[in-house]
Amino acid sequence: MVMALRTVTRKSGSKLLPRFSPAALLHSHATSFGFKEVREEEKSRMVGNVFSNVASNYDLMNDVMSAGLHRLWKDRLVSKLNPFPGMKHLDVAGGTGDVAFRILDSVNSIRRRAMQDVLEDDIQEETKIYVCDINPNMLNVGKKRALERGIGEDKSLLWVEGDAEALSFGDNTMDGYTIAFGIRNVTHIEKVLSEAYRVLKHGGRFLCLELSHVDIPVFKEFYDFYSFSVIPALGELVAGDRKSYQYLVESIRRFPPQEKFASMIADAGFQQVEYENLVGGVVAIHSGLKV
Amino acid sequence: MVRGSIKLLKDAGSGLSKTLADILVCPLSKQPLRFCEQTNSLISDAIGVSFPIKDGIPSLVPTDGKTLEADETIKTEDSEESSDKHEADGIGSH
Repeated sequence: MVMALRTVTRKSGSKLLPRFSPAALLHSHATSFGFKEVREEEKSRMVGNVFSNVASNYDLMNDVMSAGLHRLWKDRLVSKLNPFPGMKHLDVAGGTGDVAFRILDSVNSIRRRAMQDVLEDDIQEETKIYVCDINPNMLNVGKKRALERGIGEDKSLLWVEGDAEALSFGDNTMDGYTIAFGIRNVTHIEKVLSEAYRVLKHGGRFLCLELSHVDIPVFKEFYDFYSFSVIPALGELVAGDRKSYQYLVESIRRFPPQEKFASMIADAGFQQVEYENLVGGVVAIHSGLKV
Repeated sequence: MVRGSIKLLKDAGSGLSKTLADILVCPLSKQPLRFCEQTNSLISDAIGVSFPIKDGIPSLVPTDGKTLEADETIKTEDSEESSDKHEADGIGSH
């Protein structure tokens, strides 16, 4: 306990952690990088390497590995968010823009419908979707894709390189927060959740899409085989990178199961915490409300 | 595509949009950031750390922060600067 405290203090300087919370005491020095135990300082660097390696093939590999299903999962995530014109939204770990583009599309389609009615001026209040990712390579992929989609100049999309554990947004500033396939890779899940809670306005919704745990007997065996035998091979074949995809499947197994993660979200202060399993728990969408 | 690229370069030169600079806060102190045109960076006067802007994208990962030199902090009125500065030393050194 005392040693953990000392490490945190030495690493960042006590003044730099004004919001230092008891949760920080719960962490040990060691954390997981896939099935490997690594030092906490190591994990972010190693995860950084993985995502720098996979950035250029990221979307292709997502399509290949999930047979295109990740698109439907992201659609589902955004439909749960209920985006609205004028909303301020933060999408964390969303460098390639996949979730942000969907939110923007959804807002724009609502706006178009509203325009056909009357008085649209109030609705024109600026929508802002902040895309925050710790990895500049992923952000560059996203910015490039925005240009290709003809929304490179869209004032609603804003790109920020930042850390989910130490967000650079003020308290109570966001109507929504999403993190898709990101929280599994962070070093301290609790810190990410408490930062999400901090930046959300009262009434703001937290939504997390993450690869989760399958508990259905025969399907589980198939899924394990697919994960440990097929995915690393696909990674090698398609992206020329077996190791990064080995990390991917291991990190999924190390992530807390649905119930446990839900209780962590509640511990961060969120209410009405619930989750929905998709494809038998291959992925889950957790949600919580800041009231 | 070519036009897009040129536009992107132009944006990179001009730093970042005003709205973005206005909403962002220091990831460590959660205090406002000041845009410095000369160095094209965002400065957290509260802890005397500057964060770079790369290709128009502000980089606010704590480990990307650089402790400000003494002459750079003179511009700021905050008198607590020097006492906080030393403790920020660790963050840029990874």
